[in-house]
Amino acid sequence: MRLIFHYVRRHWAMALTAAGFLLVETIGDLLQPTLMSMIVDRGVVRRDVGTVLRWGAVMLAVAAIGAGAAAMRNIYASRASQLIGRDIRSDTYRKVMSLGFDDVDRLQPSAIITRITNDVVQIQNFAQGLMRIMLKAPITCVGAIALIVVQIPEQTSTVAVILALAALLIWANMHVSFPRFLAVQRALDRLGVVSREFLRSIRVVKAFVMEHEERARFGAASRQFADTNVAATRVNATYGPLINLSVNMGIVAMLWLSRAQDAAHIGALMASMNYMTQVLFALNRVSMIVNSATRASASASRIQEIFDCPDEFARRGGTTGDHRGVPSRESGCEMTPHEQTRRPMPRESVHESSHGPSCDPSQGMSRPSSHDETPAVEFRDVTFTYEQAGAPALRDVSFTMDRGSTLGVIGPTGSGKSTLVSLIPRLYDPQSGAVFVDGRDLRDWDVDDLRARIALVAQKPTLFTGTVASNLRWGDPSASDTTIQRAARLACASEFVDTLPDGYDARVGQGGVNLSGGQKQRLNLARALVRGPRVLILDDCTSALDAVTEHDVLANLRSLTGAANTSSPRRNGHDGHDGHDDRMSVVVISQRIATVRSCDLIVVMDDGRVAGIGTHDELLQSCALYQAIAKSQLGGDRS
Amino acid sequence: MNVPSPTFDRRTGGPQFGGGMARRGAPVVKPHDMRGTLRRLLDATRGHRRGLGRVFALSGLGAASSVLSPLLIGMVIDRISARESLTFALALLAGLYAADWLIDFGKQWMMAAVGQRIVLHLRVSLFEAMERLPLRFFDRHQHGELMSRLTNDVDNISSTISDSLAQLMVYAFTIVGTLACMLWLSPPLTAVSLVSVALVLLLARTVTRRTRPLFARQQRVLGELDGHVEETVSGMATVKSYGQEQAMIADFERLNERLCDTATRAQTWSGFMMPLSNAINNFGFLLVAVVSGVMAARGMIGIGVVSSFLLYVRQFSRPFVDIANIYNTFQTAVAGAERMFQIIDEEPEPADAPDAADVDDPHGDIVFDHVSFGYDPEHPVIHDVSLTIPAGSRVAFVGQTGSGKTTMVNLVTRFYDPDAGRILLDGRDLRDYRMASLRHAFGSVLQEPSLFEDTVAANIAFGRPDATREQIRDAARAAGADAFIGRLEHGYDTVLVGGGSALSQGERQLLTIARAMLADAPIVILDEATSAVDTVTEQSIRRAMMRMTAGRTSIVIAHRLSTIRDSDLIVVFEHGRIVEQGTHGSLMAAGGVYARMVADQTAI
Repeated sequence: MRLIFHYVRRHWAMALTAAGFLLVETIGDLLQPTLMSMIVDRGVVRRDVGTVLRWGAVMLAVAAIGAGAAAMRNIYASRASQLIGRDIRSDTYRKVMSLGFDDVDRLQPSAIITRITNDVVQIQNFAQGLMRIMLKAPITCVGAIALIVVQIPEQTSTVAVILALAALLIWANMHVSFPRFLAVQRALDRLGVVSREFLRSIRVVKAFVMEHEERARFGAASRQFADTNVAATRVNATYGPLINLSVNMGIVAMLWLSRAQDAAHIGALMASMNYMTQVLFALNRVSMIVNSATRASASASRIQEIFDCPDEFARRGGTTGDHRGVPSRESGCEMTPHEQTRRPMPRESVHESSHGPSCDPSQGMSRPSSHDETPAVEFRDVTFTYEQAGAPALRDVSFTMDRGSTLGVIGPTGSGKSTLVSLIPRLYDPQSGAVFVDGRDLRDWDVDDLRARIALVAQKPTLFTGTVASNLRWGDPSASDTTIQRAARLACASEFVDTLPDGYDARVGQGGVNLSGGQKQRLNLARALVRGPRVLILDDCTSALDAVTEHDVLANLRSLTGAANTSSPRRNGHDGHDGHDDRMSVVVISQRIATVRSCDLIVVMDDGRVAGIGTHDELLQSCALYQAIAKSQLGGDRS
Repeated sequence: MNVPSPTFDRRTGGPQFGGGMARRGAPVVKPHDMRGTLRRLLDATRGHRRGLGRVFALSGLGAASSVLSPLLIGMVIDRISARESLTFALALLAGLYAADWLIDFGKQWMMAAVGQRIVLHLRVSLFEAMERLPLRFFDRHQHGELMSRLTNDVDNISSTISDSLAQLMVYAFTIVGTLACMLWLSPPLTAVSLVSVALVLLLARTVTRRTRPLFARQQRVLGELDGHVEETVSGMATVKSYGQEQAMIADFERLNERLCDTATRAQTWSGFMMPLSNAINNFGFLLVAVVSGVMAARGMIGIGVVSSFLLYVRQFSRPFVDIANIYNTFQTAVAGAERMFQIIDEEPEPADAPDAADVDDPHGDIVFDHVSFGYDPEHPVIHDVSLTIPAGSRVAFVGQTGSGKTTMVNLVTRFYDPDAGRILLDGRDLRDYRMASLRHAFGSVLQEPSLFEDTVAANIAFGRPDATREQIRDAARAAGADAFIGRLEHGYDTVLVGGGSALSQGERQLLTIARAMLADAPIVILDEATSAVDTVTEQSIRRAMMRMTAGRTSIVIAHRLSTIRDSDLIVVFEHGRIVEQGTHGSLMAAGGVYARMVADQTAI
């Protein structure tokens, strides 16, 4: 609720104007029956046409003022509530764009989307209702009751009893029906789940001949929904007519008590009956306000939850202190004793034993000349746990990747491969240890600079509404057509882009619906290449490609690494302190030995740990897990 | 005097005022054949409408209260001013209110049950019709669209049609009754009252004509905005790693601004309706008050007539405005019914022939005899394929994406029937078997794992609901799923939500493999079943599968050639045709397509 009023305050002038006009409008409405009673009592009863016309003119003037006020109120209220909705929506979206991934994971993207779309609309409707009719209800209530008392003071107690009774019934109605309508909502959700599952699993249902059981499931959910609905509706069926009855009987009572009424005050009696119905209307509206406020405040607190999250780096910023100024480079082998001092527990895992020996040779052998260079990527003792997970996804991971080299990461499903690479563009921060890019601790990088040099091609391709070219230009908004075509060629995407009716200007639907999985993956890769990254990370992103295409793509990428930097697409000018060396380094994640076997260095992951590091041949000698994987995939060939 | 009582709006979850006012501006969808659809609806709900007649009758009676109460109040007022005894008139009025209460209560109480009974019947009929439809139908339609048929449309049909019929009934009686009473009381005053009705109707027309396109545009912009939010939030990793946050925010602001503008205009215009009709009502009230006041002052009418008219004019214009709105929602609901009937009218899966046989302990001899097929007859994806799969053999289908492997499997399980040629199981055309018994003969693990919101155990036992816990465990162990299930919070009793979204793709696949293991069908089909499982796990599943499939016919589709090299027969597909078949050894020796594929996968 605080949130809502915060935004109302932002447009307070407009909201106040609307409320002011609303007040005038309501008073105009309230005066009508009283003026009518004047006509009746002073004109009609006394058979005085002049008085009738005079009061008629007053009434017309009041009605005109009321209508004018209502029109103005409408303009201001509509504008103000839309502005409030726009502001909340905009602030929420901006905030979401600045969230860290730990919070995005926790809140769930689909829930965040609902908050920006549905919840904001709820609040907006509330704000609009508030200024349009809701404020009117209490004013009408108080005003009408006051006017009844003025008109027929002797019946104050009757009116009080009737209204108290009606209010009690309305309250009881809400109290009884609310939990029942929650049950309806739950039954509706269940019905939705069952239908969605049925539609999604239609093949399985048919394949297992489970139509009968599905029908029973659906029937049960529908019946549940119908039953809860009947129960809830019947509450209203009981109370609604009862509330009407109480007010109607109140009118009868008033008439009965006025049987000795002076004929000169007939008009007052008529006006009072009119006010009674107005009050009833208003009371009903109050119950509506309460409901609408409950819903809006639930929405508001969901949005507030987003606002309460810290910005992406605000929370993590605090931990950087002790890492600043750490020398940017220690050679891979100097590191080992360094690690040992920090962590007294000797490593005992079977896999770990392969780590020690393979560390030295792998770095030395793969690229001896690079020993004095700053490594492209380095992990030091990295341990990382996802926010709500029990066990760490990465434990004590250390490795060094030379500039211009290729690094393969292999391991079973869930062994931490994707987590590992998501730390490189700093989508997450490790709880302990540190990650270095170009010799600098990630926490010392300006995040935009950092991400500008890294391109991560995710497992699941994401494309955005637009054209093929506009999607590829994400990599570099100023990229020329030739750059884009060249990147598409390298990613083996040009072959199908060229066959599209509009080529690079072909429309891409939301999420790339009109493209196949393999096509989307190739466009994602091309987009990464347009960027001209220093570190290219391929997270199993060639899975939907057939073997031949995958082979071609990887061969093309290999040509961009090492000394072959001249063939890389045009790059933008994020030069930094070591711009003289722009060889691209490639990290490839895969489950396939064939994909990683020719990498300069391969990291074998198992349950968050490094199970082995080395070249293909070394690992075949030293790493049991690697041997097992190789055997499962190449089996026959190696006998 | 009737005051609208709060009704519940299911979609937003709280009581709201009923009536057409709230719905103005919502796009109206017109049915193509109103009469025909209504007649079908009558047929479809036959036997489930009991009580509806009574509800309508009560609705008609309910109108009596709003027609008669102003008359009676006028009577009472007359007597007060003439200082006559009120007892009789007041007793009548009290009796009228009491009757109104009983009628209203009875109507709403019965309506709740009747309406829901019709909804339930329609929904279940629709579901059953949907279930009988062939897969082609589901290929053609989006899930979201079918979902809204099953949920929103059905609700709308019944509630709107029965509610609005009842409401129309009330209004019709109210209008006719009120008009009759007013004419009886004073024809000139009736004419005066009709002025404001005409004005309100004119206003409603003008406003609706103005707002309809505005609301349509607002809906469009809102759709665009929601689409933008959806893709940028779910693709946030990409947005962030390309540093596109600012660009996306700029796009969002542009849409947001546009939405704000259109919505303000639409809201402002539709917002004029209420105060203006209010003003017109006030004006009409005033007109009646002045004219009747003058008439009463001249002694042409009594004071009671004045008060009756003042009450009538307040309640007279509302039904006219609402009828137009009710008719619109009525149309939209009938259009929904039409869409429902479209689904019911779809051609269901072919019925079993009268002499259809059961698949009884099949050998598993499968023959494709010159089979051609296309999902869309214009574009065949299988061209004249002939293939013999001997009973008990392990067969692998390989080939590039889109070469027709999955389609072949879809044809064997009769998800689709071939356009030409035939498929034989144990020497008999598939179409001569009973569909259910044929599908029971196949245990399939499909590409996309489908899990239900139920316990892990129930998910594995899908297809064999009578399985014991021990059998379920055995199947899970065989599939290699036992270990991770043990790590779940409640083990086999863990309820999977959101299609098992808490599990990894590989774990979901393991569960569906366990499901197929438990089904223990004579013929096994694995369509890329292990694509998301790592190769080491895959090996152990393979071994379990080998044990299971020993002596059974099995068809395996795999991307990874290493997993199928020990098959009895490897069939290589290219563009819907078989280009090679043989064992791993013979195909490697032949040095054709298969050998090239193997070379590509094992060495780069």
